Amino acid sequence: MAIAIQPYSADLIPAVKGFNQRLVAGGVAPEFHFPENNIPHWLPKLEGRRIHQEYYLAVDGDCVRGGFILKYQDFFFHGKPQPVVYYHLPISEGIVNKAYAGVGVHMLRSALKLQPMLFALGMGGFDRPLPQMLKVMGWSLCAVPFYFRVNHPAKFLREVAPLRETKSRRLLAALAAVTGVGSAGIKLINSLRTGSPEHGLFVEQVGGFTERDDDLWEQSREHYKLIADRACATLNALYPRSKNFLCIKVSHASRFIGWAVLLDTQMRDNKYFGNMRLGSIVDCLALPENALAVMQAATQFLEQRGVDLIISNQSHHAWGGALKSSGFLETRSNFIFGASKPLAELLSPFQNNQNQVFLNRGDGDGPVNL
Amino acid sequence: MSAPFFERVRGIAADILEVRPNQITPQSSSENIETWDSVHHLNLILAFEQEFGVQLEPEEIDEMNNVERIISILEQKLNHHG
Repeated sequence: MAIAIQPYSADLIPAVKGFNQRLVAGGVAPEFHFPENNIPHWLPKLEGRRIHQEYYLAVDGDCVRGGFILKYQDFFFHGKPQPVVYYHLPISEGIVNKAYAGVGVHMLRSALKLQPMLFALGMGGFDRPLPQMLKVMGWSLCAVPFYFRVNHPAKFLREVAPLRETKSRRLLAALAAVTGVGSAGIKLINSLRTGSPEHGLFVEQVGGFTERDDDLWEQSREHYKLIADRACATLNALYPRSKNFLCIKVSHASRFIGWAVLLDTQMRDNKYFGNMRLGSIVDCLALPENALAVMQAATQFLEQRGVDLIISNQSHHAWGGALKSSGFLETRSNFIFGASKPLAELLSPFQNNQNQVFLNRGDGDGPVNL
Repeated sequence: MSAPFFERVRGIAADILEVRPNQITPQSSSENIETWDSVHHLNLILAFEQEFGVQLEPEEIDEMNNVERIISILEQKLNHHG
């Protein structure tokens, strides 16, 4: 029987459970199992709200052989509305049973038929199966730069994964932490790389976003080649008060110039961050010329809370530059942006313009694992 | 299935799947060719589309999981177009 792509309806929940059981038997990690509820837990479709997710399944008779999610959020190209849809969690039985090797391609082509302007984000690195498949299908790919700033060098040297990978690195890191040599080096790097702080900044922690904040969104969006909707209704859906998000608003000379959404998370045996207290600059917005002020304010806010390390992914050059001027270092990124052929044509030339697109951890599937 | 057509398909499949042509038979499938994974499957589809000037529908793509079925679908499409 031919496999058909169809929306996920409640009657297919048992078939999805069966699909997940076959993935478990094949050793697939739980984060790659398909949701066992047809109503999305995150961003369900609600009356009057534009941002939402839709689930699709690859159905083969009574069985489910794969699924994917489309996230709908308004995008703006040079300030003008532009439909762009996020393709995520494509998972196919092909990863545990090669008889279904074609399901992944089938799902991707079906998604492109539904929405030609597709993008993918994250994906764990260029060498993973999904980016490889996207590349073969002519998608344009680039890494969204990753930035970090060390606040507590001794803890960083003890906990960060690349320094714990081999016995000799572990020993060197332990020595550097104990003797203070590593701490002194990192503090020196921070002081050399941190520019003068902006004067007259005022930072206020807020519980959420209001319609008064939308003026900034309307002024800012035309300054970015491509940016996802960041009006207050969308922000409050993405960063609900019930979660641990820290929202700050930044003013300069009594004028509201930008905001940032942050996280302060105590990690526990995390594969990348060990047991560090991790500060994340998840999302932000300002005119490009005010990016530095917002990044400095966010950095200071997280430092004062006592985080060991601050991280951020930012695609736009103004925000990357602002992070570097705030003492951040850039390192290899596994956070990959993939644009379908029509989307890459819109952004053409993609390689030259990728750093004018505004993307960060607030995009895609949000700040997962942070 | 005509012999020349099978030979064309076999040549493409062997090239993409990185096996010797004589390893490709009508019964060859993702289950008995080790290199035939989802990325190679995609490469096969794109190569056939280019070679034969056809556009394969998503529904056809996951049916093309063995050489015999690939040939059958390609022949159907070519006859339909021709």
